Amino acid sequence: MASAPSPTPGGYSVTPTEPAARPRAHGSAPADGTPGAAQTAVRPPLPVKMVIAGGFGVGKTTAVGSISEIEPLTTEAAITEVAAGVDDLTHTPRKTTTTVAMDFGCITIDPTLKLYLFGTPGQDRFGFMWDDIVEGAVGGLVIVDTRRLDDCYAAVDYFEHKDIPFAVALNAFDGKVEYDVNEVRWALDVSEHVPVVVFDARERGSVRDALLVVLEQALARSEG
Amino acid sequence: MADGRTARGADDDGFPVDPFGPVAAVRPFLVTAGRVAPTASGRPMPVETQVVATAQGLEALDRLSFEQHDIVAACRQPQSIAEIAARLRLHLNVVRVLAEDLRAAGQLTVYVPHIDVTRDASVLRRVIDGLRAVPDSRGVLRDTD
Repeated sequence: MASAPSPTPGGYSVTPTEPAARPRAHGSAPADGTPGAAQTAVRPPLPVKMVIAGGFGVGKTTAVGSISEIEPLTTEAAITEVAAGVDDLTHTPRKTTTTVAMDFGCITIDPTLKLYLFGTPGQDRFGFMWDDIVEGAVGGLVIVDTRRLDDCYAAVDYFEHKDIPFAVALNAFDGKVEYDVNEVRWALDVSEHVPVVVFDARERGSVRDALLVVLEQALARSEG
Repeated sequence: MADGRTARGADDDGFPVDPFGPVAAVRPFLVTAGRVAPTASGRPMPVETQVVATAQGLEALDRLSFEQHDIVAACRQPQSIAEIAARLRLHLNVVRVLAEDLRAAGQLTVYVPHIDVTRDASVLRRVIDGLRAVPDSRGVLRDTD
């Protein structure tokens, strides 16, 4: 990352023209309703970002909602899409920036550390440029509906191409998956160090464990 | 402008009724005077970038215009720019541009996370430990594997 200022102990660069950003001790509670210096000194937690990817309707928002401490929020993000010509009357490949809805949630690890989960928007017929959302992510979870394997190829390709640690999670709709882990691994042709797990996007513990698989991947790499 | 923003789809607090979006009567980038490149470094602020109001920003609240006012007011507590965008129903890139303006004016402090730090093993271990402590469910029994 090309940022001039040196990181502070909290892992930030506080952008330079800020006049007096003397960070306080980690975790000091914001003093509500008392205007003045106290409020400027609230030290935000260090945000750690993970990305939840996959085709349309595979359970990304469900997974975020199962574990997020807040109701998932929706905002609009810009993605660069290369339309595959499906609904393009001219049949000319074109690249456009499209605004899509993006769901996200978070988990406070402790007052100094907060995990953010961003669901990348996506339909399978587009090629995606998710950089705007994914930049800086520690890892990704690709959610797969085994009845519609094709939908996740874009996400798998993306994480492989960007060299971001990721795992593939088969969402067990109604408690079952159409194909087992080995069959899916074969079909997706992911390299053997990419974990493929079965999970249930509706269950908090199950989502937690899937995220932990990704984080262990990221940790192994950083210790690498 | 404010009336236009709430003409359809938003309740009094500015929270979305329709999750799919800001239905601004004013085209979103009009409020940024058409600017889309948010940072001096040329890279967009990551969506999880944390933003906090400064004392100066809070004192200037009454003099700030609609979106600037709302952003500074929302940042009494640290927020990510994604949260600001969602809660104020603004396009993410509009928030990026305005947050950069407000930072330059001394009204916000912007904490851009360092990738090297978030990917550091000690940080990842803390996230792993913290996540492991999250209990199984909110009422739904978890199947054993």
